[in-house]
Amino acid sequence: MTKAFEEIPPNDPLLSIDKLNLGYQGQPPLATISWMIQRGQKVVLLGKSGSGKSTLLDTIVRGSSAIQCRTLRVAYLSQQPALLPWLSVLHNVLLGFKLRGEKILTQHLECARQLLIDVELPYFESQKAHQLSGGERSRVAIARALIEDADLVLLDEPFAALDRSTKIQMAKLCKQLLADKTVILVTHDPRDAQDWFNEAMVLTPGGLKGPFDLGHFKNDHALIQALDGDL
Amino acid sequence: MSRTLAILVPVTLLITIWWSMVIIFDIPHFILPTPDRVAVVLFNRLGLISVHATTTALEIICGLLLGSFLGFVIACLIGDSKRLQSITMPALIISQALPVFAIAPILMLWLGYGFASKLAMTTLIVFFPVAASTLSGFRALPSSWETTFQTFQPRRSRLFFLVRLPLAIPYALSGVRVAASVAPIGAIVGEWVGSSSGLGYLMLHANGRGQTDLMFAALVVLCAEALVIWGITNRISHRFDQKYADTV
Repeated sequence: MTKAFEEIPPNDPLLSIDKLNLGYQGQPPLATISWMIQRGQKVVLLGKSGSGKSTLLDTIVRGSSAIQCRTLRVAYLSQQPALLPWLSVLHNVLLGFKLRGEKILTQHLECARQLLIDVELPYFESQKAHQLSGGERSRVAIARALIEDADLVLLDEPFAALDRSTKIQMAKLCKQLLADKTVILVTHDPRDAQDWFNEAMVLTPGGLKGPFDLGHFKNDHALIQALDGDL
Repeated sequence: MSRTLAILVPVTLLITIWWSMVIIFDIPHFILPTPDRVAVVLFNRLGLISVHATTTALEIICGLLLGSFLGFVIACLIGDSKRLQSITMPALIISQALPVFAIAPILMLWLGYGFASKLAMTTLIVFFPVAASTLSGFRALPSSWETTFQTFQPRRSRLFFLVRLPLAIPYALSGVRVAASVAPIGAIVGEWVGSSSGLGYLMLHANGRGQTDLMFAALVVLCAEALVIWGITNRISHRFDQKYADTV
């Protein structure tokens, strides 16, 4: 899969969505969208609750005939960091290897330990996941996404359950660690993306609108207008 | 200390009410014997009672183990496939909708009056709560978790054994806890329908001879047995709960 990815001309989009009917089976679509994302692009996806933002990310992960994703290395981080409570932090970081049945080599262990240092959890490797706070769990999930060396990182309101200061700290850490990745951040609060993203797309029942300058949404009125599809 | 009190206070209260009712309403001992009469019978015929108590305890424990095992295994086999669940669920529900009293004579006919028919009845009563709880454990995986694990391109079997199965264990154990409290019903019903041993048999036997005090003594022992089995199950399941629960 890596080889196929390398062969793609650098100017081709990493992800292209062509007339995707977003919604649940047997129900009218929430929206029909077309979208192209270039390698290295970082974009915020705004939308009201229930507009289909999470469904879109889920569809990207599961695949669809309307989606062409030129990498298999996709990471997904949600509000619930999906850490197995009975495993240690280190083994949670290495979960992808275990699930694929790959042998965990010394270099993988070293890499996982280094990533735990990078996410500022250097002394936590043998702690069980259930002993961690919300912010610490999110950091372990980031380390896990990084060890998978994902090209495309999908963030589905990953910090929504955290307090404001932890949220700012996490956004800072992500900005630094995901600098060379293609990132889509789903949120309904543009403040989550401050200083990190410039570009925003808005998912409305009329389809995907944008790109907008993120700075535009500092004002609540503009944000509400955009979410209602009036911008 | 407070735990001992929590057991002693209601037991003392119950005995006091029982005793005072016999005295106040002057109830004859063959209708409701006083607690002291029951205690005397319990002491004097301990040998007889303990033989029958052992039979019933074995039926309950073996039925609980076999029923839990079968319930868990069936849930594991169908837990990963919605189609298999839709095919097998009606059969599972029918097995539970039929009262155990109604099928007891058939089981007697097929399996005889010995241990096997009681084991089958207890197993049948235990099986459903364990299977149903384990299945809800398989369904409890949040969709965001599924999406996350999907990104690792896992092997289906590994995802099952490393994630889905351990996450279903606390649910299975809560099913076992419920099952432990209903398991004695299977054993006693089986003994009532036809047996030559067990506390249910002893109660019927004593009833036929007007030995109400012996009936009550058997009932007290059955109650103690059920409580001990439930307590052990509860303790074991709490241990596992601490390991696997949380987070989801």
